[in-house]
Amino acid sequence: MFSKIAVNNVKRSFRDYSIYFLTLTLAVCIFYSFNSIESQNAILELNKNPIFHDSLNKLITGTSIFVSFVLGGLIIYANNFLIKKRKKELGIYMTLGMPKRKISKILLFETFLIGLVSLIVGILLGILVSQGLSLLVANILGVNLNHYQFIISLSAVIKSVVYFGIIYGLVMIFNQYTISKYKLIDMLHASKKNEEVKLKNAFISVLVFTLSVILLVTAYVRVLETGLDAANTELFITVIMGVFGTLFFFFSTSSFFIHVVKKNKKVYLKGINIFILRQINNKINTNFLSMTLICLMLFLTITLLFTAFDLKGTIDRSLEGNKEFDASAFLVVDNESEDPRENDIEEYLKDINFTFENNEKYAFYSEYKLSLTIEDLLSDYLSEQEQVDLVKDYLGGPMSAIKLSDYNSILEITGNESIQLSDDEVLVLSSYDNITDALPEFMENEDSIQIEDKEYTIKNDVAIEKNIKANLDSDFFYLVIPDNFDGDLELESTNFNVIYDERYFDESEERFSTLFNDMWDNKYRDVSPALVIGNTLNQIKDRQNGMAAMVVFIGLFLGLIFIISSAAVMALQQLSDASESLGRYKALKRIGVTERMINKAILKQSFIYFFAPLSLAIVHSIVGIIALNDIFSFHYESIIVSTLFLGIIYGVYFYSTYVGVKNVVKNGNS
Amino acid sequence: MGPSGSGKTTLLNCISTIDTVTTGRIVINKKDITNLKIKALEEFRSKELGFIFQDFNLLDTLTAYENIALALTIQNMAIKEIDKRIQQVAKKLEINEMLNKYPFQLSGGQKQRVASARAIVTEPSLILADEPTGALDSKSSRLLLDSFEKLNREFNSTILMVTHDSFTASYANRILFIKDGRIFNELIRGNDTRKEFFNKIMEVVTLLGGDVDNVL
Ligand SMILES: Nc1ncnc2c1ncn2[C@@H]1O[C@H](COP(=O)(O)OP(=O)(O)OP(=O)(O)O)[C@@H](O)[C@H]1O
Ligand SMILES: [Mg+2]
Repeated sequence: MFSKIAVNNVKRSFRDYSIYFLTLTLAVCIFYSFNSIESQNAILELNKNPIFHDSLNKLITGTSIFVSFVLGGLIIYANNFLIKKRKKELGIYMTLGMPKRKISKILLFETFLIGLVSLIVGILLGILVSQGLSLLVANILGVNLNHYQFIISLSAVIKSVVYFGIIYGLVMIFNQYTISKYKLIDMLHASKKNEEVKLKNAFISVLVFTLSVILLVTAYVRVLETGLDAANTELFITVIMGVFGTLFFFFSTSSFFIHVVKKNKKVYLKGINIFILRQINNKINTNFLSMTLICLMLFLTITLLFTAFDLKGTIDRSLEGNKEFDASAFLVVDNESEDPRENDIEEYLKDINFTFENNEKYAFYSEYKLSLTIEDLLSDYLSEQEQVDLVKDYLGGPMSAIKLSDYNSILEITGNESIQLSDDEVLVLSSYDNITDALPEFMENEDSIQIEDKEYTIKNDVAIEKNIKANLDSDFFYLVIPDNFDGDLELESTNFNVIYDERYFDESEERFSTLFNDMWDNKYRDVSPALVIGNTLNQIKDRQNGMAAMVVFIGLFLGLIFIISSAAVMALQQLSDASESLGRYKALKRIGVTERMINKAILKQSFIYFFAPLSLAIVHSIVGIIALNDIFSFHYESIIVSTLFLGIIYGVYFYSTYVGVKNVVKNGNS
Repeated sequence: MGPSGSGKTTLLNCISTIDTVTTGRIVINKKDITNLKIKALEEFRSKELGFIFQDFNLLDTLTAYENIALALTIQNMAIKEIDKRIQQVAKKLEINEMLNKYPFQLSGGQKQRVASARAIVTEPSLILADEPTGALDSKSSRLLLDSFEKLNREFNSTILMVTHDSFTASYANRILFIKDGRIFNELIRGNDTRKEFFNKIMEVVTLLGGDVDNVL
């Protein structure tokens, strides 16, 4: 009997529940999709790399826990709205003689029912969405999915059920507590208390609004000037200014706006604009705190999505120039030690019994450090700030050098002509053209380098952009020095580069990736104490792609959850406000306002209410992204993808709110 | 006038086109409103009719001025005209001092005068008032009724008012008594003083049985 009441209630009040249900389902769907990542084909390909696998799992678990806190809060908040809305209905049950215990039971069953349905629908939807996600992943990771497979991740299903089970459990407990505290009289007279408009004074509203604009503009200027350096305390002050600017903005904007619009009689005295303006003023003014939170959350989301997608683009491009060698390794030289076995990578390979195959082209070389630093070399062309930045970004320091014969052996395996240098000539190899104008200016104006007391002619006119190893770090600066260079030289590392034969590519890749993984796991430490680190080009790519993938996942995951949360909170506020404003809509109808006009008013209100925080968030984001631009360089795809996600979810909530409010107003009147 | 449940509100609802009649016709200003199209109905309602309600029906979020303006703006009236008309009615009903106040800052009588201003600002040919003095004390009632009289005289507005109160009724020129949905009696004031008219009303009310308690 009670279950029947509960089922009927859920069915009947589906209108009230629709936003709640939408939120729960979307939350489950997203939660499932992201947790199913581990069993995606594309990821399975990458799982050969144990480091990547572990960190991805840890990251997703950590994020999931954080997300379930956010969702838990959101669901309890949403549920609270529903209970409030139904106070009267529950009160009537009580007057009919139904004991509280049984009402609790009905509520319990209702929560359970909604939880169950949303969980099932959410997981089903998630299974669909995760297939699309799988394709996105494959694309990010550059993995070819030649055998596409429909995947259902059991572990993700279990995880979703457990996490959401706990959340729903909490909601049930919360409901029981709320019900037990209600008094019958309050429930029957769950009257709409008129929310007091907090800011009515025109002068103060203009003052606060001006203050908020000043704060925001100052914050924008500051962040654009100093950039986003988290270590900088200035940034903290800027953030505080931004937060308070936003807060003041929402506190005053609607009052300020009303005073402005009032002056424009054409807008003010048209249709029921007077009513719409007052409604919005009322709403924004009473909910300015949540508006601020939502605006900041949206700001975070937009920036997050944007950066996530863009980081991927940045990584894609950084991989482009790095393809000459299929694998490289280096031994970190210990200058305290005299033992060649510890400092020569060739000896090291002998020690661990590794030999190159005949089809593999390889070259050994040594890297030295000069006494000259990069800052000193370019000092005439760098401003003081640039010098500081160079050191800070690890682009400065003592110059690296390799000897001509080593360089020629590298040129030989890459199939280039060898090069001649006389005793007083050097070559400049660098990618710094892309980083600073100082290098090209230097190359143009100087034709010699002074190292210690000796003058060396620079043989090339522009820096040669040819890295001498497969390396994660794409920035390099080397000098090629004559073999009989007699200045100060400190051996830094001994290295080798390998180029595979196309025909035996897979075998070679397998050999070297195994070797490097074993070295990383310290398998040869008891054979030789030397520290050797190596990467194949594929390993580098996978790692970078893996990192891009992780950033995109986490960015998307958090971003989507944030959007849902903010949209849901706004939708619920709108709906509850609609039932509180029922009397006003009724009054409008009685003085002859048509339904068409009322629907239009509802649309306008929902639109302004939804898009006020979004607009400010977009302005914030544009500034934030420009500031970030110092770190990443952006491309347009990221804008499209992030707007798409934001637009769809936000749009769905906006529309369901509009329909929901319309229904409340229509049905509350008959 | 008429006992509870006799059909007074229903009659007003039919005239105001909120309700539809099953038989018969309603003719206002030589226009049969019983078979108007929706668009024409909406226009008729906003142009020809004014409403005054027992519960004032003012919007709590709007100032008195805005409440009155709303009746004009929904007709898309010219902006210049709006302010002129509001000032004019406000002066007539002596509410120009309180135009910038919100309903919660006004007394019941003041609220009803604002509501009346809203009803007549569109210069309707007929004002429908369902127990407008129901929520007012006798002093406020009298003030309101005085202003109704003024409206009737100076604006030539016809006011159709439902009331249980014989004193309120004595302000009218013509009284229809309704019982069980039918017109039961009619009184016309003619040249009677209000006192004489009041006594006549009392007689009918006693005859109808009921509502006597309301008199004093
Ligand atoms: N002419 C009629 N024919 C049929 N039913 C009618 C008629 N007039 C009124 N009724 C019905 O009588 C009921 C009461 O009518 P109404 O609300 O108009 O009474 P009232 O006079 O306004 O009462 P009160 O003084 O309590 O406000 C309504 O349900 C209405 O449908
Ligand atoms: Mg009635």
